[in-house]
Amino acid sequence: MIVGVAPFVQGVPVAVLVDPAIPVGTLLHAAIPTGVVVDATVPVGVPFESVYVRSIVAVSLYVSGLAVLLGTLVGVPLAVALGSVEFPGKRLVTSAFTAGMGFPSVVVGLLVLFAVSNQGPLGGLDLVFTREAMVLSQFVLATPAIVAISLAAVSGVDESVRDAARALGGTRVDVALVTVREARYGVATAVLAGFGRAISEVGSVLIVGGNIAGADGVSKTRTLTTAIQLEARQGRYDTAMVLGGLLMALVLAVNLVVVRLGDEGMVR
Amino acid sequence: MATADRLDRRDGTPALSARSVSVAYGDDPVLSDLSLAVDPGEVLAVIGPSGVGKTTLLRVLSLSLRPDDGIVTVDGTDAWTADAAGRLALRRRIGLVFQEPSLFEGSVARNVSYGLRVRRSWRERIRDGLASAVGFDGPSAGSNGTAAAVREALSVVGLADATDRPASSLSGGEAQRVSFARALAYDPDVLLLDEPTSDLDPRNTAVVEDAMGEAAGRGIGVVLATHDMHQAERVADRVAVLLGGAFAEVGPTAAVFEDPDDDRTRKFISGELVW
Repeated sequence: MIVGVAPFVQGVPVAVLVDPAIPVGTLLHAAIPTGVVVDATVPVGVPFESVYVRSIVAVSLYVSGLAVLLGTLVGVPLAVALGSVEFPGKRLVTSAFTAGMGFPSVVVGLLVLFAVSNQGPLGGLDLVFTREAMVLSQFVLATPAIVAISLAAVSGVDESVRDAARALGGTRVDVALVTVREARYGVATAVLAGFGRAISEVGSVLIVGGNIAGADGVSKTRTLTTAIQLEARQGRYDTAMVLGGLLMALVLAVNLVVVRLGDEGMVR
Repeated sequence: MATADRLDRRDGTPALSARSVSVAYGDDPVLSDLSLAVDPGEVLAVIGPSGVGKTTLLRVLSLSLRPDDGIVTVDGTDAWTADAAGRLALRRRIGLVFQEPSLFEGSVARNVSYGLRVRRSWRERIRDGLASAVGFDGPSAGSNGTAAAVREALSVVGLADATDRPASSLSGGEAQRVSFARALAYDPDVLLLDEPTSDLDPRNTAVVEDAMGEAAGRGIGVVLATHDMHQAERVADRVAVLLGGAFAEVGPTAAVFEDPDDDRTRKFISGELVW
């Protein structure tokens, strides 16, 4: 089912496209934004393309960056807490996070869509087809990876090092900070894994974001992955390849920065 | 507390004391109704065979283990009736050195300054951290006072010029000396040492033993748990013999070694008592 169709306007895809495979129930009809219209008067040319591509990169970075930032702020302290306490059912909790690393993104997207739809628990926030809903779904996807990999890393920190921090007058927070610092390569890997999962997934952002670009060629909820999917389907393989190259470059650049940060302060 | 203040208080309130302390792990009693006190500037050796409860005793004295029964005081203040903040303040007057150095990753200076850094306010720590991150600071990190304290503590263990070395590059003996300096740097009132030289060669052992004397000379009360009776004889002012979860004998070093009152102590010292 295609809603608000205008797959091409003078060669520029500006459609609100909902995949036929996605069941669009009545709850969605109420939530689909009405402001997305096709403006056939938009001039076509190179600047337009660059606006299109840049806005897509910006949306991708915003959504995945914020999702991973929030996932890190929640996931790393959670991993440190889980790593330093023993309680009944701990294995179950840690297994749940490990299992969460394998959640299918389309299912997560669907659940988040239900959650933010009019009748959902977050319906009042009016989040359907917004970047914030995409952040939420990617947060749900990235956080289990961040928790599970960080937990493995912090569990590897020698208890005697934590004892030393405590013995030297450290508070619980100080001991946690020492733990994260000692495990920083593993924690950096966890953040990278979370980012990799977020930036490269298509399913959930397509469902909760709607892959919307405005008539002016500016992406609203279109990310690199959903754009590549659309461009390839429209036969615009050159644009798809450019976007694919950008996605690869972005992932590599973020990897470099994170690994570099992990190296910082080795001898300080 | 400054050295002079500590030394003025000799013969007054003990730096650290345990009164009628008992600890059991499950149904197994480890320490039974045990009392001891260490005065400022005194080296007290707790000797006894391995597994007799020396480490448990140090955990009680360092306030990391609450005894099932009994009172632990730091400078006269009951640690376990104090609130959490009060207990943290008391805990921060105690230095602890383990058998394993357990150094943090990073430089020697970073290790030795750790105790000073955690005692500063978050505002100062964040400011110093940012300054350090953008390169406004040398490898010592922190204020000039911190750098001076780090150098001073390292000089006690003969490693004054090792500040910039990565901790991972140190030998086992050097690492343990850094571990000692790390506890000394924040000028504690009490220093608890858990078999600090059992993995060290004679040269490094001598350095650490000298550092114990230096610490005591500054008015710090030193408690040394060791199974090495010769070491106790060399460095301690007083010796407490821990056998079967209680002190068999406590007294001046010479008296305990030369003329022990307790029969088990005599056998332990002579090597007849095999635990």
